[in-house]
Amino acid sequence: MIHLMPQKPEKLKTTVMLAALIQRDVLIGLRQKSQIYQPLVFQLLVVTMFPLGLGAGAKTLAAIAPAVIWVLALLASLLTLDHIFKVDHEDGSLETYVLSPVPLPASVLAKAGAHWLLTGLPLTLFSPIIAALMHLPESAFGTMLISLLLGTPTMSLIGSMGSALTISLKHGGLLLTVLVMPLLAPVLIFGASAILESTLGNPASGQLLALTALLVFSLTLVPFAAATAIRINLE
Amino acid sequence: MNRLVKLYHQLGSPPTFYRITGKWLPWLLGGALVLMFWGLYDGLFVAPIDYQQRESFKISYIHVPAAWMSMFIYLAMGIAGFMALVWRMKVAEAILIASAPVGAIFTLLALLTGSLWGKPMWGTWWDWDARMTSELILLFLYIGVMATYNAYDDPRKGARVAALVAVIGLVNLPIIHFSVQWWSTIHQASTVSLFGKQHIPWSMLRGWLIMAVGTKLYYGYSVLKRARLLLLETEKNTAWVQKIIEQECRHA
Repeated sequence: MIHLMPQKPEKLKTTVMLAALIQRDVLIGLRQKSQIYQPLVFQLLVVTMFPLGLGAGAKTLAAIAPAVIWVLALLASLLTLDHIFKVDHEDGSLETYVLSPVPLPASVLAKAGAHWLLTGLPLTLFSPIIAALMHLPESAFGTMLISLLLGTPTMSLIGSMGSALTISLKHGGLLLTVLVMPLLAPVLIFGASAILESTLGNPASGQLLALTALLVFSLTLVPFAAATAIRINLE
Repeated sequence: MNRLVKLYHQLGSPPTFYRITGKWLPWLLGGALVLMFWGLYDGLFVAPIDYQQRESFKISYIHVPAAWMSMFIYLAMGIAGFMALVWRMKVAEAILIASAPVGAIFTLLALLTGSLWGKPMWGTWWDWDARMTSELILLFLYIGVMATYNAYDDPRKGARVAALVAVIGLVNLPIIHFSVQWWSTIHQASTVSLFGKQHIPWSMLRGWLIMAVGTKLYYGYSVLKRARLLLLETEKNTAWVQKIIEQECRHA
């Protein structure tokens, strides 16, 4: 008996492909390095400007520390958002995500995850240095780390949506900021107020839960919105 | 009901939309002018003077309708954006793009009149309270929609991406609003509610309501006029636009 049907190609599992996608992005990031250290250097430079402008009084600096930490995290991650889909769009690999059997929203999730590993996580780990420079009381460090750990993934997710909305534009940087900033305002509000409450000795669980809610909300909806944006742009 | 469904389907086609809305324009503009003048007259001369806020209260006859419109138009824009994304209707795209500048102007008007009102009442032009901040963020969302549309060379692609931006904004608006409300506020709480006890006498409320209807008619006029022009521009190579141009030339 001869089998006329050609052999089916081995079907790759979605999870394997997504893991490969994250691994590829993280490897590229680790080899280029600039994507990782540039936001950190940016933060360090900007945080130096505050004492220079405000005076080095520990009290003044500590009072604005929660806001500065969060605004800096926001600005530093904005710097890197442009890259999330742009490079893939230029070299054509974005088309392969659209055509591959892996659902596009899942690929978006993987891209946002890789972006978080390369920027959100380093920013969180670096934050105690910024906090020390701003004289944030040490009792608030724990809350600060948790709030950043919960808030930075939301920034990566919403940022990936902004990046997807502007992929085919040559100078989309400013537009990206205009689109993403208003959507990130709630993250900033809850993140900064979580740190503020804990410097005052109050529990910050309400704010941290709100940050978690925002994260869950963007985890469920953002991949679909970003996938739609990519499809419209590639039409 | 059947007639409404039929009208909805007819309005989906650009030539029919152009023909039908052309008949509506004078009525909308006339109604808007009459109602807005009446509302302003009623608010400025007929309504009693507030015992605490004195004459300053009369700014509210522009401020309050403008603030209502800023939210109403964003809702309309979001719905048009949803229709543009799901059914790819050219008319919905045109309505979306036409709504953005009108809504942005109403938002700006609400912010400016609020600032003028705030100076005598609170002693400051600007205060970062919840409702003002939400309104400012609403202005950013409008700017985002307009900037997205303008950034794309291909107007149809730009309109579709802008539609997505509008829908994303609409989903996020309640979250932004409530998180901003978190820091409590010196802005007076809402005075008008559809249900329950009113906090304002009818003689003062009347001006607002007349203005609310008038500004809605004005929005209808403005958005249809802009959408018609947009459609003429994007459809300029089609037979129906050529026909309209020929007709206009013959009239002239």
